[in-house]
Amino acid sequence: MGFSTRQIHAGVTPDPLTGSILTPIYQTTTYVQPSVDEYLSKGYSYSRSGNPTVRALELKLADLEGGVDCICFGTGMAAIQGVMLAFLNAGDHAIISDVAYGGTYRLCTKVLSRFGIEFTFADGSDPDAVAAAVRDNTKLFLTETPANPTMKCSDIAAISKIAKKAGAIHVVDNTFLTPYFQLPLTLGADLSIHSTTKYMDGHNATVGGAVISATQEHSDAVAFIQNSTGSIMSPQVAWLTSQGCKTLSLRMDAQSAIAMTLAKHLETHPKVEQVCYPGLESFAQHELASRQASGYGAMFWFEVKGGLAAGKKLMDNIDVFSLAENLGSLESLITHPVTMTHADVEEAERKRVGIIDGLVRVSVGLEDVEDLIDALDKALEQV
Amino acid sequence: MYFDVNGKQAFATTGGKPFDNKKPAVIFLQGSGLDHTFWGLHSRFFAFRNYAVLVPDFPGHSNSEGPALTSIEAIADWLAKVVETLAVDNISVVAHSQGCLNALEFVSRYPGKVRSVSFIASGLATPVNPGLIDAAENKPESAIAMMLSWGFGHAGHFHQGPIPGNSMIAGGRKIMGGNPDGLASDLKACDAYRNGKAAAAGITVPHQVILAGTDRMAPRKAGMALVGALANPELHIIQESGHMVPIEAPNECRLLLKNFIFANNPAS
Amino acid sequence: MHSTRRSNRSEAMSHFYHFDTLALHAGQTVDGEFGARATPIYQTTSYVFPDTDTASSIFNLERGGHAYSRITNPTVAVLEQRIAALEGGSAAVCTASGMAATFVAITAILGQGDHIIASTQMYGGNISLMKNTLPRFGITTTFVDPTDVDAFAGAIQDNTRLIYGELIGNPGLDILDLDGIVAISDEHHIPFMVDATFNTPYLCKCFDYGVNITIHSITKWMGGHGLAIGGVVVDGGNFDWGATDKYPTITEPYAPFSGLNIWEEFGPSAFATRIRAEAMRDFGATMSPMTAFLLLQGLETLSLRMDKHLSNTKELLDYLSNHDSVSWVSHPDLPSHSSHKLAKKYLPKGAGSIVSFGVKGGRDAGKAFIENVSLASHLANVGDAKTLIIHPATTTHSRIDAEALVAAGITEDMVRLSVGLEDVKDIKADFEDGFRAAKKIAKA
Repeated sequence: MGFSTRQIHAGVTPDPLTGSILTPIYQTTTYVQPSVDEYLSKGYSYSRSGNPTVRALELKLADLEGGVDCICFGTGMAAIQGVMLAFLNAGDHAIISDVAYGGTYRLCTKVLSRFGIEFTFADGSDPDAVAAAVRDNTKLFLTETPANPTMKCSDIAAISKIAKKAGAIHVVDNTFLTPYFQLPLTLGADLSIHSTTKYMDGHNATVGGAVISATQEHSDAVAFIQNSTGSIMSPQVAWLTSQGCKTLSLRMDAQSAIAMTLAKHLETHPKVEQVCYPGLESFAQHELASRQASGYGAMFWFEVKGGLAAGKKLMDNIDVFSLAENLGSLESLITHPVTMTHADVEEAERKRVGIIDGLVRVSVGLEDVEDLIDALDKALEQV
Repeated sequence: MYFDVNGKQAFATTGGKPFDNKKPAVIFLQGSGLDHTFWGLHSRFFAFRNYAVLVPDFPGHSNSEGPALTSIEAIADWLAKVVETLAVDNISVVAHSQGCLNALEFVSRYPGKVRSVSFIASGLATPVNPGLIDAAENKPESAIAMMLSWGFGHAGHFHQGPIPGNSMIAGGRKIMGGNPDGLASDLKACDAYRNGKAAAAGITVPHQVILAGTDRMAPRKAGMALVGALANPELHIIQESGHMVPIEAPNECRLLLKNFIFANNPAS
Repeated sequence: MHSTRRSNRSEAMSHFYHFDTLALHAGQTVDGEFGARATPIYQTTSYVFPDTDTASSIFNLERGGHAYSRITNPTVAVLEQRIAALEGGSAAVCTASGMAATFVAITAILGQGDHIIASTQMYGGNISLMKNTLPRFGITTTFVDPTDVDAFAGAIQDNTRLIYGELIGNPGLDILDLDGIVAISDEHHIPFMVDATFNTPYLCKCFDYGVNITIHSITKWMGGHGLAIGGVVVDGGNFDWGATDKYPTITEPYAPFSGLNIWEEFGPSAFATRIRAEAMRDFGATMSPMTAFLLLQGLETLSLRMDKHLSNTKELLDYLSNHDSVSWVSHPDLPSHSSHKLAKKYLPKGAGSIVSFGVKGGRDAGKAFIENVSLASHLANVGDAKTLIIHPATTTHSRIDAEALVAAGITEDMVRLSVGLEDVKDIKADFEDGFRAAKKIAKA
């Protein structure tokens, strides 16, 4: 079945008791067992270990990503942490793409490092650099592509091969493109992770995460860590996210089309120094972006002539776009990574990976493109 | 629908369709102290599937003129008169609790036009605790409380039920409370009835027995005595129900009635 | 049918679950698929039918079931059946608000040319509905003094189809004489509907006295946390609609359902069925599943909360009665209240947690009191877990002159208090701040 059909129907069966067409919100802690001997015969005992509403979302996401199973988490960070704890022990080593969400960077360098796990941040756009970082104790590769916020792309298939050779698992953060545009598991990755907060929900309504595995063994390992550490998704969040998923393809198509229009518009604007969007011919990795994904997403960044001061002025004066963290929602958002999402990354590291001070990150929403262009033009006028 | 039987006014509901005696008929017989509203979740269903539905209030109950009849045999005779008055052919009888005793006696004595009979939650006899008869005569609300308390299973006592927003047990209380006089005479008629075994042996038309898993009014042993006395019963047990099967488990009950009646007394 | 009044007492040789057990369990069938202990939130519009026969039989009211959430919803149904169980009613219909409950209850049986007898002491929204809105559709109301039973009898007209009052009146807190009014409504075959919001079934089960319909704003004590708006109509199942031809909406064939005779086929839940079949379908004042779920959580602790509301009220009555800044205190549990005897009869646990009192120094002192309390929230709701307070003369009734205030039973110094669940010592300490400020104004 096609993606649009599956994004609506996968994981959902009408409630047998009432016929309710949507999965009910099982806002419950516990489940009444038919008898001692039939403990768990209906599949549920306690909502940390499993909940029917959350399960419906997990089955949907597993289907969309082409995985065998999925475990949902309370946040995207919880999903990343769950994967790290499931597959890394003290003394192990992991290779992370050198541009990644600031929270991922912080988790690795400030938290997991305390438990004896070592990290190398390698340039994912250069498979040779990634291969050179492999050590005897390398157990996990985490690739974020396109990367937040630089939009640098990594070759999922190439890195998957390196990981396989090293006997390590390859995890791809697929938040930016979603399974509608990019299927890491079919490119050779072992796990695909998401902040469902972003495009999966799509409405700025919930915070959540998901881990989709290509094998049951990997998924069970993630589930075990989740049940042990408790970072679960709530039934209400799962239910809202399930509703959001139903329009994923529509939103991705519409939002990425608007992003392309805005990127092209800004590229010709006299006050703009550079625009970085994988869909532009000028994007350095345009060939890779076109090869491994069927769309370019709705995230891009640009630099205003005049550097940081000009960028700040634009963001403080812009209409329609909201100055806010998060991305992937219907509301267009504008962010200054250096002071907001990536403030925890040291300046030298930022400079090294290309998070320049004047970088203005845009998450394109679903407003009328004329209003968004008008807002950008008016704000640029004041710069 | 009002009509005259033996010169007295009688009432029956017809399930929301005009009564057409040319169609095959389903006659519903309710238990002690109850009236036509007991069968609301079944009568309308059959009426809208081309059956002539008749749910009579027994004499002295709700809309039918009194006095109440004092023996099962007298009620059977009265039913024969109703059938004769309305000139009904091809009858399926559906009976619950005391209605089953009425049905045993009616069908065995007047088998001519009966095509099938469904017995729900009953045995061959219904011996009644003297304390209950005494309560029914002197303090009907106490007798009603006892019968509701025993009559409904777990789900009923927690006010569950198949109609959204409705408490089945509270509805039962109101129906039963409507006939305090009828209740006492019904219970005495039940207690006095001794002919169940012989009547059961005399039933030759197709018959089914539907028993409830947690019935405290007609326990399993009593129900199985009825099954044993009948020639060739089709037996069903609805586990998750107390005695008040037609309102406690109406969907399961309706499906069993439908399959049985559609097969044995088909409507066009 | 005969009236079954007062048949609800538990009897020897019979066992029924009691109030607190029902408040936790009634109406909920533990879901068979997973066994979830809490009531699932069926946040859905519609329901998949197994086959067309089931679909048509649900639409034709041949069987129960869910078709579309405007009419019924499994989560809302749990709340409805739980309230029916607590009230001792045969059925209940939840609505989007308490006002919607009043409206659908009235319009289920009344039409153009019909007449209501209603108490003067009612929530302003109720009064306005009957005084201003319903007359536009040909339904008129005679308002009578709730303490004068004879006035109810005297107001009866040929076209009277409903008697309506609040058990604990607003704002005077006068108690309806249920026995006296039931005698009149029985004699004239007119249903008697009571707004039982202020008492809840925990303090008084109106059906035990022969009341035929109750309505509630569940927003208030039933839900208890001030977090969701909702109402309910409860069918007592004890009114003989067929005894006269005055109620054709119940006893005559209803065309939209193939000539359904609701009274014949639904008997004790005929009134609720009419609301479901007509008002929920055509007016659509539906409660949302999420609201029902939230209100269910509140309902589970109804008796605990009511006991605490009452014990706090009792302490505050003592405190206020002995306070030198208070000119008067009004509550039916005080021997000085004109309804004290009726309160003891119908509300033996206590006559609710609304108290009104006068602040010495009149209008400005009352205002100063309100402005200088901080724990008590200054707002127009009642029945929250938090203590609420309002000065009617400067807020809800600020646009009417002193003379009209008196007619409405409101004095310029009056403060209305909805006693919450805080530690009563903190409420008293908070009031001390208010009284100090009021005293300064009174002296000035």
